[in-house]
Amino acid sequence: MNNGSRKRPPPPSQPLPANQPKSQAFSQEDEFVDEDVFLDETLISEDEESLILRDIEQRQALVSRIAKWIRPHLSSEYLSQSCSIFFQQLEIDYVIGESHKELLPNSSGAAAIIRIFGVTKEGHSVCCNVHGFEPYFYISCPPGMRPDDISGFHKILEGRMKESNRNSKVPQFVRRIEMVQRKSIMHYQQHNSQPFLKIVVALPTMVASCRGILDRGIQIDGLGMKSFMTYESNVLFALRFMIDCNIVGGNWIEVPAGKYKKTAKNLSYCQLEFDCLYSELISHAPEGDFSKMAPFRILSFDIECAGRKGHFPEPTHDPVIQIANLVTLQGEGQPFVRNVMTLKSCSPIVGTEVMSFDTEREVLLAWRDFIREVDPDIIIGYNICKFDLPYLIERADALKIAEFPILGRIRSSRVRVKDTTFSSRQLGTRESKEVTIEGRVQFDLLQAMQRDHKLSSYSLNSVSAHFLSEQKEDVHHSIISDLQNGNADTRRRLAVYCLKDAYLPQRLLDKLMFIYNYVEMARVTGVPISFLLSRGQSIKVLSQLLRKAKQKNLVIPNVKQAGSDQGTYEGATVLEARAGFYEKPIATLDFASLYPSIMMAYNLCYCSLVTPEDVRKLNLPPESVNKTPSGETFVKSNLQKGILPEILEELLAARRRAKADLKEAKDPLEKAVLDGRQLALKISANSVYGFTGATVGQLPCIEISSSVTSYGRQMIEHTKNLVEDKFTTLNGYENNAEVIYGDTDSVMVQFGVSSVEEAMKLGREAAEYISGTFTKPIKLEFEKIYYPFLLISKKRYAGLFWTKPDTFDKMDTKGIETVRRDNCLLVKNLVNDCLHKILIDRDIPGAVQHVKNAISDLLMNRMDLSLLVITKGLTKTGDDYEVKAAHVELAERMRKRDAATAPNVGDRVPYVIIKGAKGAKAYEKSEDPIYVLENNIPIDPQYYLENQISKPILRIFEPILKNASRELLHGSHTRSISISTPSNSGIMKFAKKQLTCIGCKALLSNGDHTLCSHCKGREAELYCKTVAQVSNLETLFGKLWTQCQECQGSLHQDVLCTSRDCPIFYRRKKAQKDMAEAKLQLDRWNF
Amino acid sequence: MEIDSEKSLCRALCAYNSMDEVFEIQKEMYRGQQYSHLYFARLHLMRTLLYSLVSQWKPHLPVCTVLGLEEGKECIIVGTLFKHMKLKPCILDEYSKERSKTPLVKPHNFMHPDDHLILEDESGRVKLSGDLISPSVYITGIVVAIHGKETGAGDFLVLDVLEAGLPPQIELPLKSREDKYVVFVSGLSVGSSNCNPLQFQLFIDHITGHLGDEKEQILASQIAHVVIAGNSVEFHREVLNGQNLAAKDLSRLSEPIKELDILLNQIAVGLPLDIMPGPRDPANYSLPQQPLHRCLFPGSSAYNTFRSCTNPHCFELDNIRFLGTSGQNIDDLDKYSDAKDKLEFMERTLRWRHLAPTAPNTLGCYPFTDRDPFFLESCPHVYFVGNQDKYETRVIKGSEGQLVRLICVPKFNETGVAVMLNLRDLECHALSFGTQFSS
Repeated sequence: MNNGSRKRPPPPSQPLPANQPKSQAFSQEDEFVDEDVFLDETLISEDEESLILRDIEQRQALVSRIAKWIRPHLSSEYLSQSCSIFFQQLEIDYVIGESHKELLPNSSGAAAIIRIFGVTKEGHSVCCNVHGFEPYFYISCPPGMRPDDISGFHKILEGRMKESNRNSKVPQFVRRIEMVQRKSIMHYQQHNSQPFLKIVVALPTMVASCRGILDRGIQIDGLGMKSFMTYESNVLFALRFMIDCNIVGGNWIEVPAGKYKKTAKNLSYCQLEFDCLYSELISHAPEGDFSKMAPFRILSFDIECAGRKGHFPEPTHDPVIQIANLVTLQGEGQPFVRNVMTLKSCSPIVGTEVMSFDTEREVLLAWRDFIREVDPDIIIGYNICKFDLPYLIERADALKIAEFPILGRIRSSRVRVKDTTFSSRQLGTRESKEVTIEGRVQFDLLQAMQRDHKLSSYSLNSVSAHFLSEQKEDVHHSIISDLQNGNADTRRRLAVYCLKDAYLPQRLLDKLMFIYNYVEMARVTGVPISFLLSRGQSIKVLSQLLRKAKQKNLVIPNVKQAGSDQGTYEGATVLEARAGFYEKPIATLDFASLYPSIMMAYNLCYCSLVTPEDVRKLNLPPESVNKTPSGETFVKSNLQKGILPEILEELLAARRRAKADLKEAKDPLEKAVLDGRQLALKISANSVYGFTGATVGQLPCIEISSSVTSYGRQMIEHTKNLVEDKFTTLNGYENNAEVIYGDTDSVMVQFGVSSVEEAMKLGREAAEYISGTFTKPIKLEFEKIYYPFLLISKKRYAGLFWTKPDTFDKMDTKGIETVRRDNCLLVKNLVNDCLHKILIDRDIPGAVQHVKNAISDLLMNRMDLSLLVITKGLTKTGDDYEVKAAHVELAERMRKRDAATAPNVGDRVPYVIIKGAKGAKAYEKSEDPIYVLENNIPIDPQYYLENQISKPILRIFEPILKNASRELLHGSHTRSISISTPSNSGIMKFAKKQLTCIGCKALLSNGDHTLCSHCKGREAELYCKTVAQVSNLETLFGKLWTQCQECQGSLHQDVLCTSRDCPIFYRRKKAQKDMAEAKLQLDRWNF
Repeated sequence: MEIDSEKSLCRALCAYNSMDEVFEIQKEMYRGQQYSHLYFARLHLMRTLLYSLVSQWKPHLPVCTVLGLEEGKECIIVGTLFKHMKLKPCILDEYSKERSKTPLVKPHNFMHPDDHLILEDESGRVKLSGDLISPSVYITGIVVAIHGKETGAGDFLVLDVLEAGLPPQIELPLKSREDKYVVFVSGLSVGSSNCNPLQFQLFIDHITGHLGDEKEQILASQIAHVVIAGNSVEFHREVLNGQNLAAKDLSRLSEPIKELDILLNQIAVGLPLDIMPGPRDPANYSLPQQPLHRCLFPGSSAYNTFRSCTNPHCFELDNIRFLGTSGQNIDDLDKYSDAKDKLEFMERTLRWRHLAPTAPNTLGCYPFTDRDPFFLESCPHVYFVGNQDKYETRVIKGSEGQLVRLICVPKFNETGVAVMLNLRDLECHALSFGTQFSS
């Protein structure tokens, strides 16, 4: 492939893998389908409710304990309904109920009622029932249809709807059809607008069924069978409401005094519950005082279950034994509630309220009461969506505690659990459980981590080690049962552990400012906060597009899902990398927000695209159109300003504003909000391009995305040519500039100067000069210098990063094995150390020596075992895997050895590769590291050398060394090999143990037991050697075991932790074993 | 022999009684035990002691465990202190991703203003607050009684602290009229780059009476005992770590030991000599360090005057009790806490009634299961610490009339100073040796 450019499918969308189940294709569509919830169906009968209440009375004591945490009492103004209510909304959903007689005297029957949950600035919870908003969509009016024909069309449609929804008891499906003037967003059109039909239906789910009927075609008198393109029929009802009322996620809403009515019968547990009309709501833009956050309550919790030996806990069998809770007010540093609910007694914990119960039923119900009284707005935790919440609910189900799952804000409405498959091109397919807790936002930190951060492991332990630099004690689930079955003190131990697991998510939330970032993202893109975690990128762009289109009187067609193989186009350009080690400064010129800028500069949009047919027909003047390098035609903004460019302009302008404000801001909370906002704006701007290229997305438009990339390619080439033409000795510069590499939006130039300062000067000059040749707002910026720079290949490089001339900022690496999770730690460390030596110390011989030493250590069996451990997740059992995999085979073997400690599905399996029989497959050679340690089993150094180390190391050294492979992997340091003798192998059972001389390994005759007669004279030196080994091991032993004591937070209790993610876990084990052996050796000297 | 036979001088003699047994680990093995047992044994020993003191100290207050704390109620708890230290080096840092960018803290002290103390007993731990207990003085591993109350935040507000105080002391024997001396020396570092062989030879010649005039020889004859408190040779154990060395290199490594043997031989001929292992000697690393092996000293170990001892080392001379270490316990306190001089650290260990409180936390230590050999049952008369930067000495008094002579023995190879202690009145003075070459 020439010039390094390549063909590829549209960047973000990948065709579904062939072996994926079909259902997945639907799930994409499912994402945009409403699901009606009928109020009366989930309601619990009056009898049942009174029964629950009686139950509460019985446990009055508990309630009074919990009651001290209730929300502040309402002031008299609220009670008398004399003031306007301002609140920050967090969650918007809808239910089907009777339409409100007083507010809507003219309508009757079932209607969708929007519910907005939120918090006032005093901390009161709000449930606002909004009436009168109806679901609708558009179709283009068939030519020739006159306003008089509408009622006929209405009748036909109503009839068809009745047919296909026979079970429904709704009196009228299609409420009304109006003729309106709109314009489709697709393609440049010269006329201003056309007639469209706005079809208003009774309930949100009817939109989809009505769309289906119109898609398939409908018989109309005088026009015949006709199918219709529908417009905006795929918009979720809650989002539709938000768009039409100008509400963005997490903003403040005002309901003026007198415009709301307190509900007759409270259906929710909220302090303020009222009805109002949708037209009375005032939505405030998140500016000034309205950019602040209400003091919402965040609950962080964790549960512990007592699993049976050898099984991962299952809700049908295994009890929930502890639930730890922390509640924090948004914006405060410390939680104001800390408690733990335990099954059976538990010793007190300082600063924490311990509530012990005798039965599991009481634990679960206490938790339910706690949720209701504390009334959290946001529920967080680690893996709560997939584990903790479903487990609690399924467990309550197994125990037949029907009254447990009332966790939402709606009085006596049960929590629903359903399995969902969430698939996104960016994140892949994830199976998940969706637990609907009405009125409370769930925020699973695990999902957020997987979404926002690329990490090698997502266990809570390694995530907190990464972000909070704190190791967490990890208690294996087989020990949990033992602790539970012990006494009050062992259960206390477990409770402390459980509390820590509840506290870490809260700390991560604070540290990474998730609340600020996600609320700002919701505000910028206009979707509810709950969408951000549960849905993909495209809904965010769609939301913005719909909002903008509405202002412009445009409607968005609901394009049928096109096949994924439709149209591939050329992707971004990657200039060929001139691999090598550059010891002169390399200046990097970046296009600032390249794709958004291209779309703005060339007015690329759905509504500015001219179809090839129209190009011929319309005869547009050449000065008002742009022909893109990929051959599409777009009109310039004087004829039709594009919507996408406008959205982008606003986003980028808002980002500039946010950044400017950020500089001014002093209050740390305000800073957090602004920083979250500018980040959200940046991400949103960049996702617009992806939206147009997503072939399975909502509104793909390959013409736009391929034009964007084609412009991008052109610009990279253009930049390269300009730089190499201008910065030459002919033009009076010291050296000829050379472009050594160029990626999607950056070009790396070697100006040939040797000081960073000069390179910066030239970089700035080049950026300015080249920017001048581009259409605004495309701008080339000089950002950084790499010096020195190691360019390995496309997308793989490393260098020191300089933004100021005196010191470098950091070491920057791309695409190099420093984070891949399926490499062992040795590779990661080795690569890191080498880069460090090469780039920072500028010591290439040192780096070479370092690699040689490591290889020699590996071959000589001196390597720390924990560095060799490879970890893989066990996602299904052995039979389900088609190809034999090392970790699966090992899990099977371990199960045969001891079912209790063998890894289960869902666990991560750590293993090392051991020496096997000749010709054994790699998957047969995997072994449990602990087993290896205990039995002295030799590892397979060749495997590590060939399959783990060699590739990444050669990649780094090839640009630097001539014969990298021969020098590093086959030198004299690879000659001596030492292999430990396994203590459990067959032959060893027959071997007789006999003492050997410590000096020369000769067998000792009966009398001696330390040295043979030849070595006697060297006593002193040989003793020194033995004692040195002992003393080194002692040092290590002390450091390792005291560190574990420190992590577990106790000096007087044994360390139980079995966190295999912890880097010192195997070392600690090994130190213990080696120490015992070394001490025995030393004792042999005591003659 | 250059001594005039007519006026032959007699070497002063002392009754010697070794009390090192408590520091020996012969039978004990590594069987997978952890450090919790040691802390538990320590807490148990100290608590029995402190409970008996508490009844005199504040009899009106209830004694609680950490678990039994109630908010606002004043009480006394006895527990092990744990100092949470931000800068404490951590073995996990070896694995952190930005290994290169760890800020270099000054290596001699790891204190930080954010450090705080936690009190722990078997039942749990609680954070200590208030100004009465300063994190710069206290350290992980000591057991104290604390009077205070739990605050709303879950902290324990300290109102008063009770340390165990100096242990009881055996009565000092009646003063003899004779002057008898014990010489302390440490940090000979034979074989190190800055070792001056002549300086050490001068020292040997002096104490064995081969130097000076008659007056000096009389003084030398009054030396009854020599204690070498650690770091006698420079031994590069790092070199031996895991690497296979050629036999030639190995024997070169042990050359300084041979040299030391020859030198010690000269002392052992003349007077009793105790040699303790130190952090840099060819001995094990964790405390208590076991005696240097006799096979290292084929020459001097032939004399019955040569005794290879443990570190810490405890013995009696004429019923005067000596206790000393090669310096690790005090150096470690210096890294993790603060005092005006080294003697103050020494005094603290006596008052805390624990020779090495930071073991095992930051100081390597054998994981004992049923005892804590560093717990001080009785008070020595002389307490010495080797390998310090300079010579310092002081006498401290206990509440029950205990008198203890504290001595910091300096590194000989850097200062040329040895310390002489008069057994008659426990007075101390420095012996300085220097060499000067004129070119």
